[in-house]
Amino acid sequence: MTPKLRTALALSLSTLCATTASAQAEVTVQFWHSFSKGNEKALEQIITNFEAANPDIKIDADFIGNYNDIVTKLQAAIPANRAPDAVIMEVTRYGLFADRGVLADLTGYLDADPLKEQLFDFARKVGVYNGKNYIIPFNSSTPVLYYNKDILTRAGFTEEPALKTYDDVLKVARQITEKLGSEGISGVAAPGQFARWGLVMDNDSNLIDPDSNEVLLDAPNTIEAYQWMASLVHEHKVASPDGVTEEDNGRDAFWAGKVGIMFNSTGNYTQSRKALGDKLAVRPMPCNKVCSVPIGGAGIGILSSAKQEVKDAAYKFISFAASAESNAIWFAGTGYMPINKGAARQPAAAEALKTQPGIDVAIEQLEFAHGRPRPPVVTWMRSSEYDQWQAMALGQRDVAETLKAFATSTRNESQRLSN
Amino acid sequence: MPRKFTPYLFVLPLIAFIVVFTYIPILTSLNLSVREWDFLSPDKPFVGFENYRLLLDSHEFWNSLRVTAIFAFVSVPIRLVLALLIASFLVRETLSARILRGALFLPFVTSTVSIAVIFSWVFSTDYGMANALLRAIGGEKVPWLQDPAIALWVLILVNTWKQLGYDVIIYIAGLQAISNELYDAAAVDGGGRLHVFRRVTVPLVMPTTYFLLVISVIEAFQIFTIVNVMTHGGPAGATDMLVNMLYRTGFTLFDIGKGSALAVLLFAILITLAWIKARVIGRKVHYEA
Repeated sequence: MTPKLRTALALSLSTLCATTASAQAEVTVQFWHSFSKGNEKALEQIITNFEAANPDIKIDADFIGNYNDIVTKLQAAIPANRAPDAVIMEVTRYGLFADRGVLADLTGYLDADPLKEQLFDFARKVGVYNGKNYIIPFNSSTPVLYYNKDILTRAGFTEEPALKTYDDVLKVARQITEKLGSEGISGVAAPGQFARWGLVMDNDSNLIDPDSNEVLLDAPNTIEAYQWMASLVHEHKVASPDGVTEEDNGRDAFWAGKVGIMFNSTGNYTQSRKALGDKLAVRPMPCNKVCSVPIGGAGIGILSSAKQEVKDAAYKFISFAASAESNAIWFAGTGYMPINKGAARQPAAAEALKTQPGIDVAIEQLEFAHGRPRPPVVTWMRSSEYDQWQAMALGQRDVAETLKAFATSTRNESQRLSN
Repeated sequence: MPRKFTPYLFVLPLIAFIVVFTYIPILTSLNLSVREWDFLSPDKPFVGFENYRLLLDSHEFWNSLRVTAIFAFVSVPIRLVLALLIASFLVRETLSARILRGALFLPFVTSTVSIAVIFSWVFSTDYGMANALLRAIGGEKVPWLQDPAIALWVLILVNTWKQLGYDVIIYIAGLQAISNELYDAAAVDGGGRLHVFRRVTVPLVMPTTYFLLVISVIEAFQIFTIVNVMTHGGPAGATDMLVNMLYRTGFTLFDIGKGSALAVLLFAILITLAWIKARVIGRKVHYEA
């Protein structure tokens, strides 16, 4: 063997050993999330920053689908021992997983973390279930009212119309449909589930009582709210049925300039602005009987099954993701609300507030934003609600009858889950 | 090792595969069907036949069974008749016949999810191509996927379009196995084309028909992807096939016991149907000319 070859071999071996050693020292956190399109870019930025600051931790992030998909896949992955280490969980759906011991109790971590004092109260509360912290907030939102200024102008509105009550919204939606329906433009997008919950709260009711966990699906004001929402589709025909059978269709049609008004999460702000530019206007949700909006979004939880060192690494990441700096990147890149009191002072957030009109509407709504209950039955209720809504919105079943029957089955299911 | 064990060693991998991926899941489903479980709890309490009772008492189950039966008993005959007719025209070994066979087979090898997504767009009420065409010729828009009376027929159409190519190819293979001498003899006897088709082709292609019938009915009862992507079982349960209900019960409503009970019932239904087909049609099938 020549000396050159020996040197090359020795160098290769030492490099290999060094690489192996560093790989062994690295902790990998497998993280499931629900962010795609523009929102995924903001998340990638946060992960890149975290990995640069913590070279011994690798975040293996996977887009799994929407919140429902995550629940479904997580539930199948747990018995197969293929669950991730950390996961994004929607704020009303994690109760079941906390209740069953699937999510680790993060109270100890958060109590020892200065982050606890930096979080807004509303954000800290979304992670609390039965007095313990199971998720740390990441992407908080409220529904807001988006409208397309160009469509309203073409429909004859020279000034911004009132959009405070159900009647106001219906009036505007009707005029849009009458004037521009021949171009395939609808007045309003059929509200998605988060917006439906918001519209019920605007009508001074709820789906489940946040204090007592009592099912309120058959409360008179809930029924009235659903009657109005369903009438947009099958009675007044100002909302396309396409958005009922596939909720994203309504949002996509709004982005394509085919819908005048849309109720949707503030998390859709950036994509809406990208699609409509200066034509986009953002306003608070209507206050039909009261001003009240639900706080939505999700937080990151850690699986109980993760090894301790992985849990520690995962928490480090979660805490970093909720820090003022990361939260400002997230807010500016997506439109989700700031959860960290220091986020607004960060350059990225300050720039967004200055240059992106309407991004602050969700923040303004915080004075009447409320957390939602998350007993185990909520996951079942939300999965089942889609079929009920379809039947009501498409005029196939009477709203009051449907909601009364649905309330009964939700109570039965709640009983089953508590056994 | 004695030589008599050697053949068993050759089939051992296949047997192991079937045991692990077929028999163990079947037994696990049977076990879960008599238990209460939500995938997350460590305990799976035994509840006897409660899950079956709940299912058989529910409107949802009978609706799903009805919808699936309509789907199967409408779509399978349409597919088989169309496939036999098309195969009769494409059985000749000409260039155009080969190109058409390839074109017909293409949807079968295309991803079902892609097909379902594209047809969802085509049949979208306000933004779809089907209604755009209707409006262009002066018609009214049709709520293809929102009207319970229409949605199931749209699924039948899409599924037929996807599966037809497979049925045609199998029929062509069956038709090619029929000896030309029989057709010559029929021609000598003065049989017309329709008469020959009815008296020679149809009886001799019966083994193929029987095979396709068995496969198609099973496939129809197990349809899921098209339903899940295009309608999610809606509107108002109008397309809620058994497997869609099974998925929803087990994986979105957290009731794996009831979902397993439904899987066992579906298994029993398919076994019963196969037995009926064997008794009623199987006896009329002749494997030799």
